[in-house]
Amino acid sequence: MKLTAPLQRVLRVMIADPSALHYGYDLMKAAKLPSGTLYPMLARLQQDGLVDSEWEAQREDAGGRPPRKFYRLTAEGLRVARLELAQASSPARARRVRHGATRPAPGSTQ
Amino acid sequence: MSRTPLVQRIAEWLIRAACRRLPADVRAERCREWAAELPAILDDQSVRLPFLRALRALSFCAGISRTARQLSRSARAGSRRARNSRWRTGAMRLRPPDVAARAVIGFISWLVIVLGVIALARTLHHPPGWLLRLGLALAAGFDAFCLVDIARAAQVRYLPKWAWAIICLIQTPGGGILYLSIGHIGRGRPVPPGEAKP
Repeated sequence: MKLTAPLQRVLRVMIADPSALHYGYDLMKAAKLPSGTLYPMLARLQQDGLVDSEWEAQREDAGGRPPRKFYRLTAEGLRVARLELAQASSPARARRVRHGATRPAPGSTQ
Repeated sequence: MSRTPLVQRIAEWLIRAACRRLPADVRAERCREWAAELPAILDDQSVRLPFLRALRALSFCAGISRTARQLSRSARAGSRRARNSRWRTGAMRLRPPDVAARAVIGFISWLVIVLGVIALARTLHHPPGWLLRLGLALAAGFDAFCLVDIARAAQVRYLPKWAWAIICLIQTPGGGILYLSIGHIGRGRPVPPGEAKP
């Protein structure tokens, strides 16, 4: 999985409240992404098992509106997202992790 | 709300059109999912002007169209191996006569149209204006039909889409007939991967 900037925004929104029901349009607004970017991304995440989707229950006060589908991070998705975002926020550390170096950089430990 | 607003109906139509590209097993569910987002967009009170909400709904549909194209592309990539094996097992033998027959039918209908036009022009030395206009309208309508068909097709056969579009335009009935008889990929008709062009 390549952590692109839009993907990062989506993961940040979903991680902010992992138990919330994230509807497509709300995700679009929160992550400031167009539907043409968001939905292919969600489909990919779903294929990788990082996100799952469900239909909401039909509400009484819906006023004839059809039920919507919401997305949530799976347990695996939550783990991967936390890891990826942590690495993204400290690029130097991420580089070290990728290169398999285990020795801390000079000055990074007390 | 007694009736569905016009924008919503247009947007639903656009979404249905986009969903036609999707593989049949996910089509209905995706269509339902995306159509269900529309009321949320159109009633989004954080966007003050109804006009802007409508615009947002339409741009949502544009994104859905892009999504459907991408999803169908990745679904095709996934099933390419399965299709390859299907085409190696005898179905291949059906293809050449099939294409030849379509080309002959296309050529015959083109001939009938051209001969009809020539015969009409001979009998009427000075064709009335309305007839000319009717002919032009029919030709333009046919061209438009072919171009829309090319634009909406996920793939066409043998030539890239732009080449078919040019062929349709430069030889008005003939190019379109050629496209419909050879280049057009009918629904549910398997196509060997080498022939399909984006």
